[in-house]
Amino acid sequence: MTLEQIRALLPLIILVGAAVAIMLGLAVRRNHAFTVAVAVGSLAAAILSLALGPTVATPITPLLRLDGFSVFFSGLILAASLFVAVLSHGYWNRRRTVISEEFYILLLLAAAGSVTLTMAVHFASFFLGLEILSGSLYAMIAYERDRQAAVEAGIKYLVLAGGSSAVLLFGMALVYARTGTLDMAAAAAKLAGALDVLTLAGVAMILVGIGFKLALAPFHLWAADVYEGAPAPTAAYAATVSKGAIFALLVRLAAAMDIQSNPPFQATLAAAAVITMFAGNLLALRQSNLKRLLAYSSIAHMGYLLVAFLAAGTLGRTAVGFYLAAYIITTLGVFAVMIVLSGTERDADRLEDYIGLSRAHPLLAAVFAGMLLSLAGLPLTAGFVGKFYLLAAGVGAHLWVLVAALVISSTISLFYYLRFIAAAYAQPAAPPALPAAVAMPRLARLAIAVLVILLLWLGVYPAAVIRAIQEAVAIGR
Amino acid sequence: MPGLLADGVELWPLALYFVAVVVLAGGILGLSYVLGERHRERATGMPYESGMIPTGSARVRMPVEFYLVALFFVIFDLEAVFIFGWAISARQLGWAGYVEVVIFIAVLVSALVYLWRQGALDWGTARRAGADRDRSGRRHGDE
Repeated sequence: MTLEQIRALLPLIILVGAAVAIMLGLAVRRNHAFTVAVAVGSLAAAILSLALGPTVATPITPLLRLDGFSVFFSGLILAASLFVAVLSHGYWNRRRTVISEEFYILLLLAAAGSVTLTMAVHFASFFLGLEILSGSLYAMIAYERDRQAAVEAGIKYLVLAGGSSAVLLFGMALVYARTGTLDMAAAAAKLAGALDVLTLAGVAMILVGIGFKLALAPFHLWAADVYEGAPAPTAAYAATVSKGAIFALLVRLAAAMDIQSNPPFQATLAAAAVITMFAGNLLALRQSNLKRLLAYSSIAHMGYLLVAFLAAGTLGRTAVGFYLAAYIITTLGVFAVMIVLSGTERDADRLEDYIGLSRAHPLLAAVFAGMLLSLAGLPLTAGFVGKFYLLAAGVGAHLWVLVAALVISSTISLFYYLRFIAAAYAQPAAPPALPAAVAMPRLARLAIAVLVILLLWLGVYPAAVIRAIQEAVAIGR
Repeated sequence: MPGLLADGVELWPLALYFVAVVVLAGGILGLSYVLGERHRERATGMPYESGMIPTGSARVRMPVEFYLVALFFVIFDLEAVFIFGWAISARQLGWAGYVEVVIFIAVLVSALVYLWRQGALDWGTARRAGADRDRSGRRHGDE
């Protein structure tokens, strides 16, 4: 391995090294604040090493490849993990009954798995990254093991993720049986666009596995239960980092195998996109639990992303990159408000918890409203520009049915986002169900402020970011 | 999808096989339902173990340490497999392989140190006080 390759691999080395270091530190003495500092520091160092890393595409062994594409998505993932780590600090401090330090080990490992996914150009590294990510997520979901709902959610995720991994592996095996290689590009070259029954089944099974992890429509049933049972930081992590990483992988896999131009897959994925958009938005309508609502909303957003994904080309990939960035910022923002409001016993996930929020915490209520409006895609927010790009990509590729479905279903989505905003600005009839939020930790306050600035920056002046994404995905062939 | 079945794959043996499976399984279940004896005596539902009459409940409370140690064994045993894999080709892998396996073993050792300090290797309940002390120690130190 050359020095250049080690430099390219540095983000992963830092993350894994920090996870082991935290583990050894815990063997000596437990200290929550110190653990958080190490975790946040290592995530920041990993981002820095990405920024200072090689500028040309660098293959690292046959398994991984660092190029503009992986740098952009890894940066996004690491930044999101950093926000979750910062927000977790105050959250676990309030939960006195739980040992909190191991959460950060799991978080760093999950981040390492996600970064592996964004760099994967080989089915082996694809599966390895996926399993590192989901293995950490099982434990992160069931982290509050005294709470029955958390353990139930963990087991549900374990069973479903295990099942979908089996389907995924079967698909990879079928592709391997025909092509004799696990390298994505080499396998695609061997197939040369012509798929027979075997490889058609193989690629379809791989897509089903990915669909499970992304909670696309026929495979979305687990999402709401798992998010509801998981602690709020884990739910935030699963909704942002895990989905972002898997979508990045899907884009790379599709670019290598040219999935979008294959008629059967195009039709299937288009149908899945339409069903996903409507299922997510219609099921979210009746939710009065914010976590369940965000689960369904994230299902719908994955459907929106599929529109740009199917549009393919540079415009489609740019739209995917920008929309994922906007989606991650906004979803993190909503979860950040929820995490800050969560008390010692339970998470602030009920509609009642938000009634009269504007009275008790006017600023927090404004942030909450802004983030939800961005999820709905209203102007001046990142969500609006993102959706605009999705539509542009869809129209550019003449995907009229998908574009129509996107417009109609995102109009439906306005209703349930506005319901929570209305609650936040309503006059409370009874005293709030949760005690007024404890004094916000300074770090959490800073994190929320940064998220708001990013939201407005992407919403008002997105040109610079879009240019950067265009360059990144142009290299990312 | 034209061309899907054009590469000489015959599907009817698969369908025949499927039908045969259904007929066979259905036949076995159905015949034993029709022909089978049905009787309900006092000992019908009792587990059969060489004619011995069972005593007590099957729900024995096992010490949780048993599962912990079993789990650690599986984990470390699996990792030994990787080290064997390195060992049989140690010469060909050279120093780079050596450095890699040393890193691997170092991670394993730190995991073992962690488990030991958490009290996961202590057998019995009394000695797990170490973990509790750590927990309460954090509570004081964190404020």
